[in-house]
Amino acid sequence: MADFNWRTINIDALDPESAYNFDLSTLTPTVQPTSTQDVQTLNGQIRQLLRGGNAEGALRGGLENVPYGADEQGKVDRICLYLPAFPGPPHDVDNRMSQSNPPNRDVALTATHIQIRGSELCDTLMKYLYKGMGQGSNTAAHPSGNTGAGGRNLTPQATGGFTQASGRNFGGGEGGMSVFLSWHEKLVEMVGPGSIVRVMSDRRTV
Amino acid sequence: MPAPEVHHLFHAPIADHSFSADRSTLAVARDNNVELYHRSGNAFKLQDELRGHDKTITGVDIAPRSGRIVTCSQDRNAYVWEPSHNGEWKPTLVLLRINRAATGVRWCPNETKFAVGSGARIIAVCYFEEENDWWVSKHIKKPIRSTVTSVAWHPNSVLLAAGSTDGHARVFSSFVKGIDERPEPSVWGERLPFNTVCGEYLNPTAGWVHDVAFSPSGDALAFCSHDSSVTIVYPSGLEQPPQAVISIATQLLPFASLLWSSETELVAAGYDCGVYRLSGDANGWQLTGSLEEKKERPSMPEQREESALNMFRSMDLKGRSGGAAMDDTKLKTVHQNSINTVRSFQESGGQIRKISTGGVDGRVVVWDV
Repeated sequence: MADFNWRTINIDALDPESAYNFDLSTLTPTVQPTSTQDVQTLNGQIRQLLRGGNAEGALRGGLENVPYGADEQGKVDRICLYLPAFPGPPHDVDNRMSQSNPPNRDVALTATHIQIRGSELCDTLMKYLYKGMGQGSNTAAHPSGNTGAGGRNLTPQATGGFTQASGRNFGGGEGGMSVFLSWHEKLVEMVGPGSIVRVMSDRRTV
Repeated sequence: MPAPEVHHLFHAPIADHSFSADRSTLAVARDNNVELYHRSGNAFKLQDELRGHDKTITGVDIAPRSGRIVTCSQDRNAYVWEPSHNGEWKPTLVLLRINRAATGVRWCPNETKFAVGSGARIIAVCYFEEENDWWVSKHIKKPIRSTVTSVAWHPNSVLLAAGSTDGHARVFSSFVKGIDERPEPSVWGERLPFNTVCGEYLNPTAGWVHDVAFSPSGDALAFCSHDSSVTIVYPSGLEQPPQAVISIATQLLPFASLLWSSETELVAAGYDCGVYRLSGDANGWQLTGSLEEKKERPSMPEQREESALNMFRSMDLKGRSGGAAMDDTKLKTVHQNSINTVRSFQESGGQIRKISTGGVDGRVVVWDV
């Protein structure tokens, strides 16, 4: 008996009441598990729509079928797909940022923006925005970091140059952080801080 | 609408406040003590202090008829303070048997019991036992999974609603044999032994539930949660799906406290520092507006002459170019910090006419609804 070190017993693991045995996943609301396959299929469809020029349909499709249940890879795929869908800030934002973006896509997306109703959809759009802002690099190795730009390699002359920053880390989308921020500004003007709070407190992450 | 009556008591947060039945005494939780203010004229003056707790007090409630005050605190205790004939308050310790902080306390409508929510995932329902001359507690444990943030009683003093940080608002029966009479059957159920769960409601995002409240008739339950939404539930019977569950997602910051002012109207207040009204019925609810008047700040001094010199001077001194016109050091709402509690102040004809709110800025404000 003396050769058993009692002090190494993990008493919390043995206590049924303790926080160690509290399965936090039981607190999350139930979500339908979506397989990565389904997410890929849907991503493919959205890509088609985008190529076909139907930006509104693509955005709506993405907002209505949210991959809550998919695993991390599926979610990362979805958000990388979305980055090309946010090519430029909405039209009436300060034009300094949008000079490198083709104006016709701006108008299309602003129109889309105005069309989307339903606070659920707006909340989902906000979730995508935050996920995109946190997505610093292509690999899942650096997930969200402290700021949206945390994963990017900031070159010393990156100050005014967000629009010229290479799309390397964003899977082809140009603009990066400034795009997200301008969309965010427009969305908050439309729906208010309530949707930001919902993004933060909702356990179903996109 | 007459202007709200503002009482700026001190510069510290008020965790909870309660008025006595004649509204002449106000009990306010301030750190480890409860301060009792007595009304003199239009203001409240400090009259007494109830000391006894070791840590921050999280809940205060005054029983309207008997005048007893119950307080609960983060030191895992609750005290019942009885007024004595010479004006002193005698505290009686209540053994809650919880091993985490108490988060809130409320007397039941007939004042024989009170319920204390705690971080130990337990609600302690306490009643006075005559033989031992002592307050004892019974625990409601299952199926609470996380801290209980708020408790609210049904008018029949048996049903208890509790909001918790696991995202659920639940209705329990706290029937204690010997203290309670058998309640009448209601939409929440018929035979209700202690710790029966009469209903468990979740809103889609499962955010923390900050406050729960029963409607004046007891047939509906409202709860506000951290995802800036308010959900109202109309049950139809035990073990049956509810008749309606209506969730309103607001575009404001979350509400911390809510109160039914009538069967079809709610007032809610929270982190936006303002009081808002919602109205509706089983078919639908919406946010109807704020209790604040939209006014340009009348107390601001008249604009000084807006000269170029002043503009540049203010840019230099204060870093902004607004000059005298921009006074952004105060919020436009009456409360200057988030509101913690909303209590009923005056009722008439089944409808609440005035409410009182207490907030983190140390103000207690009485509003007309």
